[in-house]
Amino acid sequence: MSSVGVEVSRVAFATQPEQGGAPVSVSVIVPVIERPESLADLYREFSAPLRAAGRSFEFLFVCEPWAYSLAEPIIDLARAGEPIRVLEVALSAGETTLLKAAGAHAKAEIVVTLPAYRRVEAEALLTLITRVEQGADIALARRWPRRDSWINRIQSRILHALIGRVAGAELHDIACGVRAMRRDVLLDLPVYGDLARFLPLFAMREGYRVVEVNAPQHKGDVQTRIYGPGIYLRRMLDVLGLFFLLRFTDKPLRFFGLIGSALLLAGAAVLVTLFIQRVGGQGIADRPVLLLGVLLVVLGVQAIALGLVGEIVVYLHAPSRRPYRLARPSNADLPER
Amino acid sequence: MTDQDRDRQFEAARASAAQRDAGTRPALSVVVPVYNEEENIPPLVSAIRDALAYTDSWELLLVDDGSTDTTVAIAEELAARDGRIRVLKLARHYGQTAAMQAGFDHARGAVVVTMDGDLQNDPADIPRLVARLEEGFDLVAGYRERRQDKVLTRKIPSWVANRLIRRVTGVPIRDNGCSLKAYRRELLDRLHLYADLHRFIPAVAAATAGARITEIPVRHHPRLHGRSKYGLSRTVKVMLDLITVKTIQEVRERPLQLFGVGALGACLCGIAFAIAAVVAHASFITQKAQSVVFPGVSLLWFGLAFYLLMLGLIAEAALREELPRGRGSMPVVREVGGK
Repeated sequence: MSSVGVEVSRVAFATQPEQGGAPVSVSVIVPVIERPESLADLYREFSAPLRAAGRSFEFLFVCEPWAYSLAEPIIDLARAGEPIRVLEVALSAGETTLLKAAGAHAKAEIVVTLPAYRRVEAEALLTLITRVEQGADIALARRWPRRDSWINRIQSRILHALIGRVAGAELHDIACGVRAMRRDVLLDLPVYGDLARFLPLFAMREGYRVVEVNAPQHKGDVQTRIYGPGIYLRRMLDVLGLFFLLRFTDKPLRFFGLIGSALLLAGAAVLVTLFIQRVGGQGIADRPVLLLGVLLVVLGVQAIALGLVGEIVVYLHAPSRRPYRLARPSNADLPER
Repeated sequence: MTDQDRDRQFEAARASAAQRDAGTRPALSVVVPVYNEEENIPPLVSAIRDALAYTDSWELLLVDDGSTDTTVAIAEELAARDGRIRVLKLARHYGQTAAMQAGFDHARGAVVVTMDGDLQNDPADIPRLVARLEEGFDLVAGYRERRQDKVLTRKIPSWVANRLIRRVTGVPIRDNGCSLKAYRRELLDRLHLYADLHRFIPAVAAATAGARITEIPVRHHPRLHGRSKYGLSRTVKVMLDLITVKTIQEVRERPLQLFGVGALGACLCGIAFAIAAVVAHASFITQKAQSVVFPGVSLLWFGLAFYLLMLGLIAEAALREELPRGRGSMPVVREVGGK
């Protein structure tokens, strides 16, 4: 599992052995990050509709080291025969890494990612799963109708408008985190660390079919969220990272070169002006703007040089990666004959 | 029996024959990336069929680059009737480079010919390209002799770009934008395209795969159906890509040299300003600003030199990582003389 980065260090408890056992149609992955609600309650609430619909399922709780103890009540449930497995990873890692680690252990072809806190009404899981069975690669829950305060909605609007511009994707609720997807899509996606939030965008980038499904917002999710400035700053960094990762990873010089050329041109303009003045007889030794001109040139060269290093790395890796993905043949795509 | 039925019967017989020798590779693969070319595909396919009537050992690979019209349905319909036609579907719209690379990866012929799907290239030129290839080249590029495009938006930018590419890369190809090219399979095995490198294939092939390249004139027709998918805005992109190609061409095995030269230049600037600072200090009464500006500028240049050297070392480290596999190893492509 070198691609995942963090291995599951211990399967703390599993009702069934790793291999074999009854076939499972859905694996629900719950990454235990941040401050979760009672995991046992969460399990009861979200397994109920699956059970009522007669689906075979398993719940995978993936825990970072600090959360090992939170899983105790879940392990009790598992001992009592519930289809629960608890996976412990060895290191703290981002949500994406936990999802991928659990995905590698999931038995079903379809996985559902479920945050460890309530986002949507439990019945939504069934709709999401159905959409994937009908041919979508990822079905995202969008909390709608929303019961939130207007502050939340405005924040969300702004973030999604930004993301829409950057990624060219029209999604409405990327933060929700409740999604159903094919297991191999989860494992294949080039996401890591905290990029889980943007997983659907990367999936679209890889040519996977992503659909949004309206799901009523859970009562417990309704609260006004106003964060510290740090969080907003981090979101902005996320958007910048997204902008680069989605568009320029195979052509870094387009990004760095554009910034670098702009700086270089600005610097050159300053220096040329100074040069003309110097030739005209005006001294430049007491002109701090000379410092500015040279600084701009230096920064421009640095940006371009960095882009070139990026290009060299991309060039070196080109033989080991394909710049495209073929469409997955689906029943609808097959010719009639 | 209607004409159509007869047609179908004939094609079916041919398809089953093709299936019989599916194990044997065709001599020639024609790779055509298509993106929303529903009107152009049927005439294109029949033109290719006519042009290749002299041999039966060919395949046509239509690479659908995420079309949103009926291109795929039409292509698959044609493929169902003729076993020599294959359709490759990309998961989304990737662009021409990726579509071509997909075609290269899935083409089975010993010779691969690429062309545009818009009928501006003429399939009748394929036999001449292949014949030229067999004279001992790895890549034969077509150049559009009497190009049928708009002068201001297409021909002049293209003329400038081609001159520039030729000057910078030193690969004497006069029309990099013409997709009609023939490749030897062995070359394609060594050629890896990504980003937007399709505009520089001869240069990239020469620089990274050691190709023997030549060019011949080909016909060019005005566009009949559909819209051109290019625009003027490419200029900046092409410039930056050209810098990339040149860098790879020059320093792919010794990046530290490139950055070292840059660092040396920055050092010289730094020294020049250091001297200027000393002279200024000695020759006139120093005011506060004067004692800062020149030394400051000098230090900036030295800072840049240091930064470039460090960056060069990182590039070397990246290269070293790849050395045991991929780009680092260079296959022997031919053995000449001897026995």
